Amino acid sequence: MLNFLKILATPEFFFSILRISAPIIFATLAAIVVEKAGFANIGLEGLMMFSALAGSLVSYYAGSWVWGLLAALATGVVMSLVMGFFAFRLKTDIILVGIAVNMMGSGGTLFLCKVITNLTLGNAMASTTGLITRSLCIPDIAIPIINKIPFLGGVLSGHNLLTYLSFIFVALTSVMLYKTSLGLNIRSVGENPNAAASVGVSVLRIKYIAIAFSGLMSGFGGAFMSMAYAQGWSLDMVSGRGFIALAAQAMGGGECLGGMLSALVFGFAQALGIKFSAVGLDSNLASPIPYAVTIIGLVVFALVRASRAKKRHSAAALGKGARK
Amino acid sequence: MTRKRQLRFTIIRSLVAILIALLVATILIFISASGATFQAKLEATREALKQMLAGPVFRFSKKNGIAFEAKRLADIFAAMIPTVFTGLSVCVMFSANQFNLGAEGGILLGAFVSAMAAIYLPLPAGLHAVVAVLLGGLAVALVMLLPALLKTKLDVSEMVCSLMLNYIIMYIIKFVMNTYLADKTRGSIQSFPFRESAAIPPLVDNPVFSGAKLSWGFAVALIAVVLCGLFMYRSRWGYAIRMIGINQDFAKYSGMKVGAVIVLSQLLGGFLAGAGGGIEMLGRYDTFTWTALPGYGWTGITIAILAGNNPYMVPLAAFFMAYLSKGCDLMATYAKVPAQLISIVQGVIFLFFAAEQFLSGYRQKLVVKSAQEEIALAQARKEGA
Amino acid sequence: MPDGKAPGGEAFVVQMKGITKVYSNGVAANQGVDFNLRRGEIHALMGENGAGKSTLMKMLFGMEQPTSGEIIVNGEKLELTSPAVAIAHGIGMVHQHFMLVPSLSVAENMVLGMVPRKSGLFIDRAKAIEITREYSERFNLRVEPEAKVMDIPVGMKQKVEILKALVRGAKILIMDEPTAVLTSQETAELFVELKHLKAQGYTIVFISHKLNEIMEITDRLTIMRKGRSMGVYNTKDVTKEEISRLMVGRDVVLTVQKDRAVPGESVLRVRSLEYVNDWNKKMLDDISFDVRRGEILGIAGVEGNGQKELVDMLFNFNTPNSGTVTVNGTSILGMPQQKIRELGVSLVPEDRMLFGIAASASIEENVISDRAGAKRLNNGPLFNMKAIHEEADRLIKEYTVLCKSRSQHVGMLSGGNIQKVVVAREFSNNPVLILADQPTRGIDVGATEFIRKKLVELSRSGIAVLLVSADLNEVMELSDSLIVMHNGKIAAYFDDTAGLTDEMMGEYMLGLKQQTEAEIRRACHD
Repeated sequence: MLNFLKILATPEFFFSILRISAPIIFATLAAIVVEKAGFANIGLEGLMMFSALAGSLVSYYAGSWVWGLLAALATGVVMSLVMGFFAFRLKTDIILVGIAVNMMGSGGTLFLCKVITNLTLGNAMASTTGLITRSLCIPDIAIPIINKIPFLGGVLSGHNLLTYLSFIFVALTSVMLYKTSLGLNIRSVGENPNAAASVGVSVLRIKYIAIAFSGLMSGFGGAFMSMAYAQGWSLDMVSGRGFIALAAQAMGGGECLGGMLSALVFGFAQALGIKFSAVGLDSNLASPIPYAVTIIGLVVFALVRASRAKKRHSAAALGKGARK
Repeated sequence: MTRKRQLRFTIIRSLVAILIALLVATILIFISASGATFQAKLEATREALKQMLAGPVFRFSKKNGIAFEAKRLADIFAAMIPTVFTGLSVCVMFSANQFNLGAEGGILLGAFVSAMAAIYLPLPAGLHAVVAVLLGGLAVALVMLLPALLKTKLDVSEMVCSLMLNYIIMYIIKFVMNTYLADKTRGSIQSFPFRESAAIPPLVDNPVFSGAKLSWGFAVALIAVVLCGLFMYRSRWGYAIRMIGINQDFAKYSGMKVGAVIVLSQLLGGFLAGAGGGIEMLGRYDTFTWTALPGYGWTGITIAILAGNNPYMVPLAAFFMAYLSKGCDLMATYAKVPAQLISIVQGVIFLFFAAEQFLSGYRQKLVVKSAQEEIALAQARKEGA
Repeated sequence: MPDGKAPGGEAFVVQMKGITKVYSNGVAANQGVDFNLRRGEIHALMGENGAGKSTLMKMLFGMEQPTSGEIIVNGEKLELTSPAVAIAHGIGMVHQHFMLVPSLSVAENMVLGMVPRKSGLFIDRAKAIEITREYSERFNLRVEPEAKVMDIPVGMKQKVEILKALVRGAKILIMDEPTAVLTSQETAELFVELKHLKAQGYTIVFISHKLNEIMEITDRLTIMRKGRSMGVYNTKDVTKEEISRLMVGRDVVLTVQKDRAVPGESVLRVRSLEYVNDWNKKMLDDISFDVRRGEILGIAGVEGNGQKELVDMLFNFNTPNSGTVTVNGTSILGMPQQKIRELGVSLVPEDRMLFGIAASASIEENVISDRAGAKRLNNGPLFNMKAIHEEADRLIKEYTVLCKSRSQHVGMLSGGNIQKVVVAREFSNNPVLILADQPTRGIDVGATEFIRKKLVELSRSGIAVLLVSADLNEVMELSDSLIVMHNGKIAAYFDDTAGLTDEMMGEYMLGLKQQTEAEIRRACHD
């Protein structure tokens, strides 16, 4: 046991928490913004899968990770806009649209990978790990000065560019939501679309913007998976992070900071699991922890919300300050 | 709108959705087809489509031309068994407006529990299989209590909860298999073999068909369809489930016990998925080898949408999906098009089926036409009288 | 009738001439209505619910368009095709249900859609607060710019709504039932503000049916009844009684054939019911009455005086702060709706689409929804389909539901037939007490007559009926005895509706008169 704790108390462990949490944070931000706009995007998982593939393939063909990243982002945005079309224009229940995207995700990405590589390379590949070299991945960044600090240096420096971006985006998204006119409109549309419409805000336009944002974030998340976390795309590499993001959004009370903290909790649980196998414990024992923590978190959140509502109702029921 | 017109609209809408999906598939096949020239690719596409659309029941050979292969049909029936059960499971849950996506984990858990019962419970043949399957169903029903109760008591999303459960179930089963129950003498991860007494015998005692592994489970699946249909349309609990799904406030005001029925719908859904897992496991395998979520749950969701949540339509939808799936497999073997095309086809069909406004303009025309005819008829009667 | 034109013939800032609005279902909400506004006046638009006053103002605010007639604003004939157009011409509306975003601050709600920016991207919070303060002080409407809307009291929410209209340049303010959600203290504050606005040259339309308030604050008033204008008057030239007579009255008196009631013992007993709503407004104030077997007790009153809250308490859609409600001796407060039905209580709900039916289910499925578990309809675990078909067919025939078959979707039927399905269900399960809330609202004449006849028939067979209706004809002619509610209290109890005049009804409904405690006590039959 002591050995195990010793392994945890290293900078590598905390480094890995941040690294593992990054894609979840992107997806959580996606979930947060659409919820603020009044709906849910449960297709984040599928969006990330397709973005991961696009990023990896294009970076190989274009010979540069920059193009790959852009392709991943574009994929996320375009697919999410199509989702929006089905949900807002064809009036498909957005939950079902999300399920459809996830359904297509697993097999669909493998199909596209095989077909595209077959067409261009004459060899149908089931993953791009054979094609991607280090240089085609998004680079890690060593921060001068910080990386000299004992312990903390090992935790904070040397992360992938996207890892740093994910945390920066938490702040940026929060600023967007609370300090810009767009954020104001998004929150209005989500809470009281009639009020927003009555002052001339286009509810439909705002919803499309929100879902496109979620596509953009999914693009980052997917790109991270195939171009930073791992070297290349392989089947089912997203492993439910898109769903965990939904839970992180709920557990974090729908806010950016809370969502980030919830994502870190999952990152912690997952990092723990990896360490388990390092000491010979079955990783399958740690793997369910993040998912179980989600359910517990949802329950706690619901209980808190219920007790708050009860307090409000009983105050009114006591007829506090009731005048005729 | 008249009944007949309504039916015709539904059929046309379904066909258009399927056609669109096939069009998308054709385009993708064309892109992936081997061939240097346009002509060659076209030829390859034609070949692939032939395999996909006709291959599942017909065998093409230079010698005998096109021959109907009963074995292939039996393969499709066998593939249908697990998805009929997950389809029924989702029908029941979606009818109550519960987006519980736990059929995926449910079928895995049911298969596992049934497998354990098949290995470790000494029971006479016949009874053994029944008990094992029932245990599988009950185990999953019990697990579904969690999302169901959390939903009714705390309004926690049953969707997120069930999705999380899927993963938890998978990992716990993997852990248990790895550590305690694996038959360490084998190369790949599998449990000890099932007892003979637990096996579900094949449906037809024919060496050709036995290759297809079409067990009595198929008959049980069809019986389950009928029972579900009776339950949903002919019993007061199924009726309550449907009314709650349509208008929960109305159901409560009419005196129905909304919370209890919502829980019931998820328990029943869990039982169906679990039993399906058990039947599939004992009918087709002799040890437990599943190491990941099998995917039958997602197919079940598509089937439920195609069937319009109507249990009686589930076999048709399940057959359709199994047919397509087999077609894609064949296409992969003979025409070198990756079989995963089925995921995309499935998703497209699902989307267009679920889109309410799809062809709504056309539906509106039919409604107006019907109304006009009624008015004309009433007018004619008046004048005639 | 005096038409209220000033001797100097000052120009009108708004003129609505010959306004007619007929909806696609044939209902004429406004018929040839003339309405004028003088600059700088506070003008009351009065009438009962359904009189057409809201519709008229919706057209002035561009939310609806008239079928015929013209609207002239500031001397210019206008086509007000949308609220944006109305706002551009200086017309603002303060809605009854606030158009505010709860988690945003007052200042943010103020500037929504016209947000001041700094550095192009960011909200200039300071500027928004400054604008809010400026307008708040200018018009003496005290608001806290940085408070979140969900935390401020109702009175302040309304002030924000008014400021929102003013900051967008409104010179003409339409206020829709502004005091409906306010306490008397908040109402007094509002009146001070309105007078202040008037002094600054703003024109205000005050939609309301509260006589006292209108006498206090308005200069002129227009009375509407059944879609027509009954005239314009200088407020100081009319008495409350005259207004009451014009507002409340029936053009055609409907007489219903019925035998005299012979009431039996009490079935429903309500004692000292009190309820304060979430906005601290007392909606039920010491309500006590009985409903007896074989009798129809009507509850009359202008909507919004506590009738809806009362019905909610009786069927457990809500619970009161104190008081008791018993049916044949058993308390039903807080009881699950299934059990309330088991005691023999039926409810015809006010909103049939929301509660009364499952629109995409068949007529048959709808009509048995309260008895799906009954032994006679079931054969063990399954339905006895034959029995169910027979029951459905019987009810369809008895209640003359016009439909193609029992499997037709209920939502496809006309409003009147949908309501017939609802009453077919609610009346046929051997109830001891029927609660009918606006049972004939929005349905055709044939269905209306049928349902009213049925109610009388059931009452005479020994069932207790509580009829809540804003339709004066209905409540006066169908009821055997009658309660008038005003401001959450019982204003009057009449044990015999014979001899009641429209004038008497108006006076109690509008709060001009109030019976003594002793007289109201007679509503209880201990």
